[in-house]
Parts: sequence; C-alpha cells; structure tokens
Amino acid sequence: MSDALLRVGAAIAALVMLSGCVTSRVENSREGLTGIGEGESVVIMAKSYHLGNETEAKYISCIENALGRGSSGLRVIPHKQFVDSLFPWFEPRTAPAETKGLTKLMERPGVADKIREQGVRYIIWLDGDTEKVAGGGSLSCAAGPGGGGCFGFAWWQNDADYDAFVWDLQGLESAGSVSADFSGTSFLPALVVPIPLIARTQAAACKGLADQLRAFIVSDELT
Amino acid sequence: MTSRLRSLFFGFALATFLAGCGANVRLEPPTIPEPLINSLPMTVAVRLPENFDHYVHQEEVLGREEWTIDLGASNAVFFTQLFKYMFDEVIVLEPGANPTDMAIDALIEPSIDAFEFSVPNQTKTDSFAVWIRYRIRVFDRDGDLVLDAPVSAYGKSLTTALGGDAALQRAAVLAMRDAAALMIMKFDEQTLFTSLADPSVQVPSLATGSDEEAAVSATALGGKDE
Repeated sequence: MSDALLRVGAAIAALVMLSGCVTSRVENSREGLTGIGEGESVVIMAKSYHLGNETEAKYISCIENALGRGSSGLRVIPHKQFVDSLFPWFEPRTAPAETKGLTKLMERPGVADKIREQGVRYIIWLDGDTEKVAGGGSLSCAAGPGGGGCFGFAWWQNDADYDAFVWDLQGLESAGSVSADFSGTSFLPALVVPIPLIARTQAAACKGLADQLRAFIVSDELT
Repeated sequence: MTSRLRSLFFGFALATFLAGCGANVRLEPPTIPEPLINSLPMTVAVRLPENFDHYVHQEEVLGREEWTIDLGASNAVFFTQLFKYMFDEVIVLEPGANPTDMAIDALIEPSIDAFEFSVPNQTKTDSFAVWIRYRIRVFDRDGDLVLDAPVSAYGKSLTTALGGDAALQRAAVLAMRDAAALMIMKFDEQTLFTSLADPSVQVPSLATGSDEEAAVSATALGGKDE
C-alpha cells in the first residue's frame, strides 16, 4: 500500500515539475543614461487601445507589484491614480504617443506640478499581450448516477510578448525599451481525473520583464 | 417534499440557462476627476434632455443573448460635472425653464445620437466596447445656433475575473471619459466659447444649419455623422 502511495506521489511530483516549462527571451535597448534618486518614482501605463493595444489590466498590476516588491523595489505610482490626477491628458485618446509630445503636455496648466508632486521620473509604456497561439488534443468527460470521469489529453501554447518603452520625464526623452517574449505549453492529461499542468506564461513574462526593467532603470551602464 | 425539490432543481436549471443568455447591467453615475484646465470665464445654461435621467439601451447579440445596459442618471451627472469644471458658472435648467431672460453667455444642449456596444461573443475577443455619439448644440446669448456637432466617444475594457458586467460598466465609463477629454480638448482649441463671452472676438465659421456646415463642425470635434 505504501509502495503504491509512493509511486503516485512520485508521479505527481514529476508532473508538477513538468508544468514549469516556459521558454523566454528578454532584451533591452538603451538610448540614454538612467538612474533613479531618492523620492523619485515610476508609473506603468498601457499604450492606448486607440492604437490597437490589448495589454491586460492584470498584467499592468503584476508589473507594478513586481517592480515595487523587495528591498530594491522602486517607488511605483498606481497608474489609475496617475491618470486621474492628470485628467484628461493621459486618457487613451489624449496621451502623448511620442516623446516629442511631452514638451507641449508639460506646458498645460498644472501638468508639470502634478508630475513633480508625485515624483514621477519615468513613465513606462507597456505594449503587447498574452494569447493562445496553438492547441490540440481531445478530452471528454461524462457523468452518470454511479459517478463520472474524464479521459483524453489536451494541450495548448500561450505566447506572451510585451514591450516596455521607458520615457524619462527629467530630460523629456526616451531612455530605451525592454522586450520580453515568453512561450509556454500547458498539458491536460485525464485518466478519470484531469491533471492540469499549466504553464504560467504570463506570470513568468511579468517577473522577467519587471526584473529587467528594474535593472534597466537603476543601472546607468550603456548596454 | 420530492416535488418541491424537483421545482427547486428546475428553477435553478432555468435560472442558470437564462443567465447564459445575456445580462442586465446598471451603471452607477461616474465621477470624473477634476480636469487640469483653466475654466472659461463664462456663464452658461445647460438644458439636459429627459432621457439623461434614465437612459436604457437594449441589444440582442447574434440572435441569442439579450444585453440591457441601464445608464440611469449617469449622463445627467456626467455633463453637469464636466460643464462645472469647464465654465466659471453653470446653470442647469429645470424642465420648461426659459433661458432668454437669463444673463448667460451661451446655452448648451447635449443629447445622445447613438449608443452601441459589443460583447466578446460578437468580436471573438475578450473585450467589451462601448460607443456613444453625443450631440452638442450651442446657442449664443441671442438664441442663435452657433454649433451643432457630434462627439464620438469610445471605451474598451477586457473581461476580468469580476465578469462581463463589470467590464461593460468599465467600458461605458471609459467612453464617457473619452467624450469629456474630447470636449475639453476641442472646445479649448475652437475658441468658440471665447467669442461667445466676448462677441468682438471673431471665430472661423462654426455656425451650422446646412449639412455641409455640420460636417465641418463634426470633423472639428473628432466625430462624423454616418
């Protein structure tokens, strides 16, 4: 009995280990020196949906949390607070699409003061999304008076491709960009009980991009 | 007892079935943040149409789902807030009130030309989208129509763990904020209101009446008649 239990335990452990299969590529392109001082903060924004962008709200929150976490965490202003404080100049229709629009924006009444009050040094614009790019297999479930169960195998692949464009509000210029391409395949084998082996592609892309962004902003090395 | 259980079961099954066939969404009046603008030194009267206090839109999606969105008094609250931020003094007219004897620089009459929305089933995406086309009519102190233009606003929100209702509400609020942003931006640029406060200031032709002129105004406010 205990042998059988051990075998089941080992099988489950092996399956759980398999579930972490995500491939990744994170790159950055620097256009200028960065660095962040005491009291300075960053804000994470999604590029406008008027431009066809589909970045998920939960991904933005994830990046905000990941950047602010830990002893080396950055000071992050919640994007909703930032957008509301500068209404209507960071709405999807009115937000500047390029850094050259920043000069005119700063001249609008109250804008520069609000940004200074919140200590915002960098605006990070996120572009991209996570989507299912492939899938297959077959899984069927049935239930009857005596019980139920599933049989089959299904799989699907999610790609999380995100770009982060960093604008430096001190020089009103672009500091560069960081891109993250993650791909993960999930499996769902079922022999009476389905065992989901989910690749957490978006979560991995969040952590990968946030780590790289933090290094990009804090470091002043030209790479 | 058995028949009661059976009724309960069928009631539950029916409720589950109906829940999958659409939804009723009610929007609480949104609060727009105080905009970073210099308000225009004018006294304006605002006449809100009756349906701004209770606007309900119903849409059948792909012949199966029926979605109803109840904006309640959202439009009335939204325009009152917005104009109070945009102008120094705003008088919201009671139904039947006559503004001709009032000391005002302009009378503004907003209305809704069209309201549409889409749900994920239609677009095969995870997003809800709302389009609102408002119409803004502005009369000068003599009661002459000086602007008649549509304002086309758009809001989009992805489905979240909170469900479709919350996403549709969010999309509607974003569309209203979009309308506010558009009006603030364009009214400021037009200098129309400056000329209404001080008639000696000449403004390029925004007066309307003909379709051609309305089209000019429509383009000026970022929308167009279809």
